[in-house]
Amino acid sequence: MRPQIVNHPENATEHALEGLALTHPHLIAHDPVTGLVTRARPARDKVGLVSGGGSGHEPLHAGFVGTGMLDVAVPGALYASPTALQVQAGTVAADSGRGVVQIVKNYTGDVLNFRIAGELAEDEAVLTEVVLVDDDLATDRGDADGPGRRGTAAVLAVEKICGAASEAGAGLAEVAALGRRVAGRARTIGLALRAGTHPGAAEPAFVLPDGVIELGVGIHGERGTGRVPLADADGLIAHLVDPLAEALALTRGSSVIAVVNGLGGTSPLELSIAARATHHRLKDLGVTVARSLAGTYVTSLDMHGVSVTLLPADDDLLPLWDAPVRTPALTW
Amino acid sequence: MSTAPDTAPENPRESTPQTVVPHTTPLPAPVPSQVTTLVDGFGGRWTTGILAAFLQGGDGGDGRAEELGRLDRLAGDGDFGTNITSALDRARQALEAEPPQDYRGWLTAVSRGFLGTGGTSGPLFGMFFRDLARCCDTGEPTLAEFSAGLTAAVATVQRYGKAEVGHKTMVDALVPAARTLEAEVAAGSQAADALARTADAAVEGARGTAALLARRGRASYVGDVARGVLDPGAAAAAIVLQAASAAQSGTTVDTGWVTA
Repeated sequence: MRPQIVNHPENATEHALEGLALTHPHLIAHDPVTGLVTRARPARDKVGLVSGGGSGHEPLHAGFVGTGMLDVAVPGALYASPTALQVQAGTVAADSGRGVVQIVKNYTGDVLNFRIAGELAEDEAVLTEVVLVDDDLATDRGDADGPGRRGTAAVLAVEKICGAASEAGAGLAEVAALGRRVAGRARTIGLALRAGTHPGAAEPAFVLPDGVIELGVGIHGERGTGRVPLADADGLIAHLVDPLAEALALTRGSSVIAVVNGLGGTSPLELSIAARATHHRLKDLGVTVARSLAGTYVTSLDMHGVSVTLLPADDDLLPLWDAPVRTPALTW
Repeated sequence: MSTAPDTAPENPRESTPQTVVPHTTPLPAPVPSQVTTLVDGFGGRWTTGILAAFLQGGDGGDGRAEELGRLDRLAGDGDFGTNITSALDRARQALEAEPPQDYRGWLTAVSRGFLGTGGTSGPLFGMFFRDLARCCDTGEPTLAEFSAGLTAAVATVQRYGKAEVGHKTMVDALVPAARTLEAEVAAGSQAADALARTADAAVEGARGTAALLARRGRASYVGDVARGVLDPGAAAAAIVLQAASAAQSGTTVDTGWVTA
């Protein structure tokens, strides 16, 4: 077995949530019975924001609960959607009387259980709106028949911007519309040098031959959409930035918010080098980086890899991006 | 000034043809004057029958969840058996902790058991039983109320799952069953006969899934590999309706067709 810092594989996510709450008791609270992560002091008189999904993507989502971001996170089991009853409980907990926006990554189980939870929450007179995050360029097949693009790191931008708007007093429809706008414009693509390893598992989810990397990976340890030769940092990042620029039709003078995201097993030193490469590549394309962020936010256990998210920026989004945020994983 | 009625009709049977016309089924015949009623304690008998049909235990049931899990390992992702077991175990614990007063209580416990379970079929069955729980307010439903509940439940499953007949899912058992029961109610059939023919239609629909290529659900990812394998969701739905028939007629559920 690969050495890991776990007690028992079965309670790895539970122990991680308890540890996060013990580390940030002034920001968040974790209820081990319901599994919900809530703000230490619930916000009043604002649109509630709830998100969640399978665990294994830490610090997503529990790490983004706090002022200026989520009210409630509903963590499921490892890589598995929370149940409809858990999401219903989280949705009701997030409501302070002005309705709740559910931020949902595009996976079949998440979409189904959040939709059902919204319908169940209506029984308790909670109004809900859903923002679906489907940003992964690697699964953009251009046809309507498949499951569609997966939801990956753009969820951070959606939660940040919806969080700022709801904190500023925006109404339910307005927060949801903003979230949909961000989700509709942001695109992400990732690559892996090594797959993540499940708690207690002996081997990573897939094994790469020497000298190649997996391009177009998601955040569930799954294989990517292709393999390319290993290159230096500038070369690897070009594999991400170039298709994003093309998909978003970025031209000279375009302005973006760029998020360079570690997939769980990437050192801060490497992430800074990746951020440098991202800035340089965008500059070469004549694209202005209005804001940027580099860190470990939306992960696939300990996958050694990186994703880049680009969100075309404008004068509406930037003040919301800049608004104060205070959560375990994101603070400014 | 609006000319719309103040309240929408809650039950399609009470609506006038001008306001609600089911587009998939012919207009129902007038409701027979003598209402066909389900047996006393139908909800409890049905629920107990469902638990026995799927779970292992000392109640002499078939314990089919394990077999359905085997089918799912052949054609899907293999979690169906454990999901249905944990959903019904959860329901059984809730029922033991707080025995229900009537049909609605029994079916609500089954619904919540499934809604508290992960996967895709769990929440779909949860919403299916939620609609069935709501088909009457108190006591036991009439056959017509039960039929309306089944039709609504099948529509909910299709609304969430987006599956049609022929996609190799639980819908292949549920749609023919709901249509059969509607026709039986319209014809004024006795409840035991109506539910027996409903169960037969569900079993026939489920058996037909073996020949299909999956279009929805996990089996759609494996393509031809799933050909020849009975869809476990359709089989489970058919067993649920067999249990309804058995609850009414006092017979036992025969699920031998699952392995036949």
